[in-house]
Amino acid sequence: MNNFRTNNSAFPIGIGQSSTYPPMLNFLLRRILQMIPTLLGVVLLVFLLFHYFGGDPAEIMAGMNASQEQIDSIRQQLGLDLPLWQQVWQFMLKVATLEWGNSWATNESVAKIFQTRLPATLTVMTPILVIEVLLGTLAGLAVAYVRGTLTDKVVMVICTLAMSISFLVYIIFGQYLFAFALGWFPVQGWSNSVWTNLSVFAPLPVLLAVMVSLGPHTRLYRSFFLDEINQDYVRTARSKGLSEEAVLFRHVLPNALIPILTNVATQLPGIFIGSFLIEVFFSIPGLGREVYTAVNRSDYPVIQAATIYLAALTMVINLLTDVLYQWVDPRVKIK
Amino acid sequence: MTSTLQVKNLKVSFDMGRAGIQHALHGVSFDVPDQRTLALVGESGSGKSVSALSISRLLPDNAVIDPASQILSGGVDLLKLSEPALRKLRGKEITTVFQDPMNSLNPVKTIGHQIAEVLMLHVGLSPKQAWEQTKAVLDEVGIPDAGHRINAYPHELSGGQQQRVMIAIAIACQPRLLIADEPTTALDVTVQRQIIELLVRLQDKHKMSMLFISHDLGLVAELAHEVVVMRHGEVRESGSVEAIFTRPQDAYTQALLACRPRLNQAYERLPVIEDFINPAGRTLTPKAPPASGGEVLLTVDSLAKDYVIKTGLFSRKTVHAVKDASFSLRRGETLGVVGESGSGKSTLGLMLAQLLQVTRGEVTLAGHALTGQNAAQIRAMRKKVQIIFQNPYASLNSRFTVGRILQEPLKIHGLGGDESGRQALVLEWLERVGLGVDALHKYPHEFSGGQRQRISIARSLILQPEIVVCDESVSALDVSVQATILNLLKDLQKEFSLAYLFISHDLDVVRFMSDQMIVMKQGDIVERGAAADIYANPQHPYTQELLGSIPKGWTPERAAALA
Amino acid sequence: MLSKRHSNSLWGQVAARFRSDKTGMAALFVVGLFFVLVVSAQLGWVGSDWQAEVGQPFAPPHFVGAKADVKAAQEAQVPVRQLDISDMDPLAPYYDKWQQKASGMAFTQQIKQDTLPWGGDRIGRDVLQKAIKGAQISILVGLTAALMATLIGTVLGALGGYFGGAVDDALEWLYNVFNAIPYVLLIFALAAVFKSGPLAKVFSNGIMNVVVILSLVGWTGIYRLVRAEYIKHRSRDYVRAAEAIGASHFSRLFVHILPNISHVVLVQLSLHVVGFIKAEVILSFLGLGVSIDMVSWGTMLSESQTELILGIWWQFLAATCMMAVFVTAFALFTDALRDALDPKIR
Repeated sequence: MNNFRTNNSAFPIGIGQSSTYPPMLNFLLRRILQMIPTLLGVVLLVFLLFHYFGGDPAEIMAGMNASQEQIDSIRQQLGLDLPLWQQVWQFMLKVATLEWGNSWATNESVAKIFQTRLPATLTVMTPILVIEVLLGTLAGLAVAYVRGTLTDKVVMVICTLAMSISFLVYIIFGQYLFAFALGWFPVQGWSNSVWTNLSVFAPLPVLLAVMVSLGPHTRLYRSFFLDEINQDYVRTARSKGLSEEAVLFRHVLPNALIPILTNVATQLPGIFIGSFLIEVFFSIPGLGREVYTAVNRSDYPVIQAATIYLAALTMVINLLTDVLYQWVDPRVKIK
Repeated sequence: MTSTLQVKNLKVSFDMGRAGIQHALHGVSFDVPDQRTLALVGESGSGKSVSALSISRLLPDNAVIDPASQILSGGVDLLKLSEPALRKLRGKEITTVFQDPMNSLNPVKTIGHQIAEVLMLHVGLSPKQAWEQTKAVLDEVGIPDAGHRINAYPHELSGGQQQRVMIAIAIACQPRLLIADEPTTALDVTVQRQIIELLVRLQDKHKMSMLFISHDLGLVAELAHEVVVMRHGEVRESGSVEAIFTRPQDAYTQALLACRPRLNQAYERLPVIEDFINPAGRTLTPKAPPASGGEVLLTVDSLAKDYVIKTGLFSRKTVHAVKDASFSLRRGETLGVVGESGSGKSTLGLMLAQLLQVTRGEVTLAGHALTGQNAAQIRAMRKKVQIIFQNPYASLNSRFTVGRILQEPLKIHGLGGDESGRQALVLEWLERVGLGVDALHKYPHEFSGGQRQRISIARSLILQPEIVVCDESVSALDVSVQATILNLLKDLQKEFSLAYLFISHDLDVVRFMSDQMIVMKQGDIVERGAAADIYANPQHPYTQELLGSIPKGWTPERAAALA
Repeated sequence: MLSKRHSNSLWGQVAARFRSDKTGMAALFVVGLFFVLVVSAQLGWVGSDWQAEVGQPFAPPHFVGAKADVKAAQEAQVPVRQLDISDMDPLAPYYDKWQQKASGMAFTQQIKQDTLPWGGDRIGRDVLQKAIKGAQISILVGLTAALMATLIGTVLGALGGYFGGAVDDALEWLYNVFNAIPYVLLIFALAAVFKSGPLAKVFSNGIMNVVVILSLVGWTGIYRLVRAEYIKHRSRDYVRAAEAIGASHFSRLFVHILPNISHVVLVQLSLHVVGFIKAEVILSFLGLGVSIDMVSWGTMLSESQTELILGIWWQFLAATCMMAVFVTAFALFTDALRDALDPKIR
């Protein structure tokens, strides 16, 4: 019983504001301006992290049995004896011009590494993301429809159980069972043709990744739907005489798309780094495996470049998502 | 007179899971006559909303309706109807308008879609036909420029317009029965008047029955033909509106009618429920003429508050919440501040309580400046000016015991001596506000709204301030509880010679409490003077509009209209 | 005269609600058992000699029985005939003396067992002991990292959400920087640095490197939620009322508001415990987690990967089951806790 007064004056909300630029351009400009300090922060963080806490690059490059002169000469070549601010500036130039030089381990150009590894990662990750979201939405909707019943509770417990088993177990066991023992899929491998990859080498990794994520996604999407079902407008929809199905699909789903979109947006940057576990286990030459190998070999340029560019990519994706919001949620005004 | 709806012995309870079963309705019966309005009146917890929602079976999942209950309409028992059959009636024959229009409309669909939906579902119109019909319905409910507004989203409309859209959805298919669940409670009083007039007009035009739920008896008198008074899940009294208002039989009904402060009566104290439930009632003493003003305590000079909002990349907009307010407050006197939402009255109160930064102007309390002070000085002045908030459920920290809540101000300002001295002071105040000593170790959620407000009052007054800002302090309380709190405030004012700044949107309450008054509109003070004078003779057009919008209750004109 | 304090506080109500949730109580019991195990292992009562090679390599679990071919091989062992070569043997004169010396020393001959309670690994270590010790390590890492991340996230979120303005802007910038980097990459970058940099020696022994990495990566989620809560609460009436009676900023931040959002923080803590245990398992699997001389469920899984091909399944099963039981129990406990803190009919 609510006697509280809400702020409902006689005047509509959102009286027009004045602006000299069209709203979309305004919005983009402002967001890009906001992104710059963040990107600078990332670059600074990576630089400082490796500078103060990382090993001496000269020692790493020179190898185990290098002499002191060799190390010093490498240090000079790398510019490590310059004052700090100059090193920071050099670093930023590297970032801006994409000139990272070569990997310390393989001597392959860092840019080329990215170029060649990214397609493999995307070939595996894109189907995973698409299937994950579709299945998660359907499962979440289905469970929300039967909320409160025994089915609901049983499904939730199964999800919890599934989530408690490590990803490793899924992969190890899945690989053993489906590839090694039953022989339905190849144990490992990759090819040069996109089609072969999608139809032969990707299915098992994709299957395993989707199995792992089904549990958490069902729970999460179920909570999105239930949050909406408990809103007042759903009661209004029922009072209009709509069937429960119509209420779910025509009223609840469009509203639940907003948090679902947010969830997809947070996962989107992740598909570029990919699942390194999958790439390592299945010998897929992707970016994740590349970075993992780089960590083991202390191959700093690769790690630094990956971190910074993926961070930049994340920010761009966030910006695009925010623009996308205004089509999904009419309450969002681009200003 | 035939009935559109007959509710027989409705018993509803809620299964709270581990918390047990909560019985909401204990056997409620009433009839909604054909083409007439029946009002269900009661305070919070009376079960009036539950009764209404039971008709269309729109109760939450955990509601349990007793199988012996019946709701008959058109020869069918609605409670025994199958879901598909009930759905054919919902939205077409029996429709509902809910209380909170902002949340009751789907935020991601245009209002046109939401109205057209019922037309396509029940009347079988094609999308094009439904669209045209929707424009006609929007016109009928008073949405201007229907041709364009049909594409608007709910958040782009004002509260009053949103409620008109809800009404449009409800009448689009020409229902037999319209259920209105507190449709105007969340709206400003001027908007409320417009919506009520709309509903009355529509009922007449479409010849439909209306079930109107409200806690406001005065409002109900203006549009109902029959009235049912409920309390604690039971019907206390029912009858024609004339009978209820002129010859109330039940003690509770009599109390409800009397507890509301009325504009044409000025009492020293308000009668309360107990006065009627316990026959040994008090006599109602008329209000004594205001004592010749005490010394001036507080002077406010050209006080202003601006908010700066970013509207674009480099552009900004200034909102003037309070513009150039000047007034003074005398000891022992109450200054009423009246206005609708957006008038700036709360902002004014918060500035005086030193919870908001002042943009311009000066406030002086007995020679000491309240504006432009540093943190230490502000802290010292907190002993002089205190504030009582509106929401009794949000203004007490639910993790603290009552004893701790009341001791905290003493501890901060070093009053009361040691632990036992403070506790003695706390107990003294608990008694003064009418709570027992065992409240000391209890938590706020163990108390009712009215009791919590008493705790708030004790907390504010334990520092012995000179000025108290009452920011809508009784607006969230039931009518009967309001009366007791207002009486308490008046008693304390007399005992401690307090000066009150009484802020409210409720004109009746302000009239009862205030000696002097100011009326605010969008940051400006449009009228000021003695309360009695303003109510008798409003000068400013806005004041006149405000006073004209107040529900008049049972008037001779209404009696004549019904006869 | 004054009545006793009765436990009708909100926590008292929460406890009452929790107690009536059977699933939650069962889960709590299991979690409690594990905690007892962890504490015992920490004190050295169990699992401390997990490194002892007490069994045959790949000894099967008791209920499976010793490998048939091993038994056969032992029985088929033909005693070796001793040849007398004392006339050629340069050491022959010394044997008696050495024999006398040796008999004076006591030494225990470790008899390698054929089967162990839960089987043995590649070098004959007891899988049960490893599982217990692994539980201790993995759970400890999860708990410590979760506590640290919660501490960081809560303090920063409180300051940012409450004060707003420049403080909030600065903290938001920090959050954006950390959040922009995909968490996998941040973990890798930190792992790379801690592995080969000057801190390598600091972190070489123990679990602190994993704990630090996980906390630095995991504080952002909690920060976001706590900040949102503080923004919501700072304009609530009870906080305004506290300001009105003169309470200080610190008092409002941590004495007034924090108890009102502690349920949010608690649930986040629980969720992160589960997440961090799973993360630690993967990190240790990859060799980026706990140091080499320690055992965790992750290292066990790492070893079991090759074992499976050979048909040895017991270490795999042990690690998987222990982890699954604990994580499921803890997750169910978290669900019940959430329900008890905020009962909504769902």
